[in-house]
Amino acid sequence: MKLFSVLLSVTLLPVLAFAQEEGPWPEPSPESQAYHDYRMKLTTPPYGLEKVKTMISKAVSVGEEEGEGEAIRPKDYLTLSLREKFTYHMIHTEAYSQNCDATPPIIDEHKKIFARLPDIFGEGNWSIRQRDFLVSNRDSVLAIIEESANRSKRLGANYKMAIVEVNGLEMIPFLIEFYKRDYKDHDILTTLLLLMNGVKYPPFVQSTSYAKLYGPNSNYGAWLQYNKANEDLIFQRAMALFNSMN
Amino acid sequence: MLTALLSCLLTFGAPPDTVFVRIPVGDYQVGRKGHHLNPLRKVHVNSYYIGATEVTNRLFAAFITATGYVTDAERRHNAMVFEPGLEEFRWLEDSTACWKYPNGISRGGITDKMDHPVTCISYADIQVYCKWAGVRLPSFEEWEIASRAGASTTYFWGEDTSQLSTYANVWHGHDHLRADSTDGYMYTSPVASFKPNAFGLYDVYGNVFEFCEGHLKDEKAVHARGGSWWCSQHSCSYFNSVEIGRVNAHASFSNQGFRVVKKIN
Repeated sequence: MKLFSVLLSVTLLPVLAFAQEEGPWPEPSPESQAYHDYRMKLTTPPYGLEKVKTMISKAVSVGEEEGEGEAIRPKDYLTLSLREKFTYHMIHTEAYSQNCDATPPIIDEHKKIFARLPDIFGEGNWSIRQRDFLVSNRDSVLAIIEESANRSKRLGANYKMAIVEVNGLEMIPFLIEFYKRDYKDHDILTTLLLLMNGVKYPPFVQSTSYAKLYGPNSNYGAWLQYNKANEDLIFQRAMALFNSMN
Repeated sequence: MLTALLSCLLTFGAPPDTVFVRIPVGDYQVGRKGHHLNPLRKVHVNSYYIGATEVTNRLFAAFITATGYVTDAERRHNAMVFEPGLEEFRWLEDSTACWKYPNGISRGGITDKMDHPVTCISYADIQVYCKWAGVRLPSFEEWEIASRAGASTTYFWGEDTSQLSTYANVWHGHDHLRADSTDGYMYTSPVASFKPNAFGLYDVYGNVFEFCEGHLKDEKAVHARGGSWWCSQHSCSYFNSVEIGRVNAHASFSNQGFRVVKKIN
């Protein structure tokens, strides 16, 4: 290095006494771990899937790193139908994400209603173009999500993210009806919470739930205990919001 | 005493970004009890010299002038930048952003920020810089030993988060919807603007995430430590000596920089 350097010697002695070494973080129960895996699943749309995958593989091949941060070629993108573009955006991210750290395993994850949806795209994220597509085509996007979810009987984390992204308040009745099919996917309740938070729905903003999940003293990983009372309250508030729109 | 010596050196003209601190050979405690990725353990390291500060725009500009290197962000036009008003963990792509315009041309250049840490450079860019400069990134353990300065606590001063503003340029707002310059800086600050740790290292927490060498479980990702000006207590409170962040090797963010280790001949 062609620059003047001053080298200082630290005179502190290395640590010679060590605390007892400990094992890993507490392991979540098999039920909790299974629910975590369930939460992280995406729904892969069927529309032009092979065609889109081929285009993505071409985009990746011209980049230097496999995976995130590569958009398909503009001329390829323009050849896609709206449904095929939807597939592309649901299975591929064009921009980057930054992750502070791997989060510790969540104990009793299946018994919690989280303030936010899980981070499903790793070091990737939707680009501005991708978000613009969702918003600009929101009616079609929401209709496709509903159609695809009914077919696959699953509302993947990417679909829920898209609903929140476009502020899909008109999906509230569908979300509640879909959730009640098996009462399993508590992230649908999170989606309802995020929709209410997105418009700062006054009865929700004034609630203790809001303070805990999104208030000044909340943190990003905040959650409510899953129980029927909280579930019913979320339904009730979300439907009241929906009805107030009509 | 060491801090006083360092202050004396800085006073007498040595640019702070050229100061290196020698860490002696020995066995050190790193990690945290029960941490999944960074469990409490002892490690043995050979002696090394680590930068007292993060690498500055001034040093990176010298590298660019000497080599004509074009960074990832300049070639790919996909740097990720920040402006107040964004939701938590949301960044903007800005095709104009690069190390010379860390948050895009519209948010200003670095002409009067040559003593700030260089940002909007990727891990891949840093590898080229290091080869040119004859330095390298610290390993996870080397970074942590230097940041701890002998402490076994979350922060080198203990566990009291109220001292953050004394030592680190971080985000003090609850969210990122509104600008926060509580500590005098919304984005980066000049290196060595805050107090150093007991080893004489500045900005080990906050200012910019500092890339390290090494991989954890995910071999595709690269890793950075120490948090940044963007990080707050409510979102990403990982401006400490324990946590290890991850990012794509070609991603360029305006809160990512680096500190280097000098090879000992």
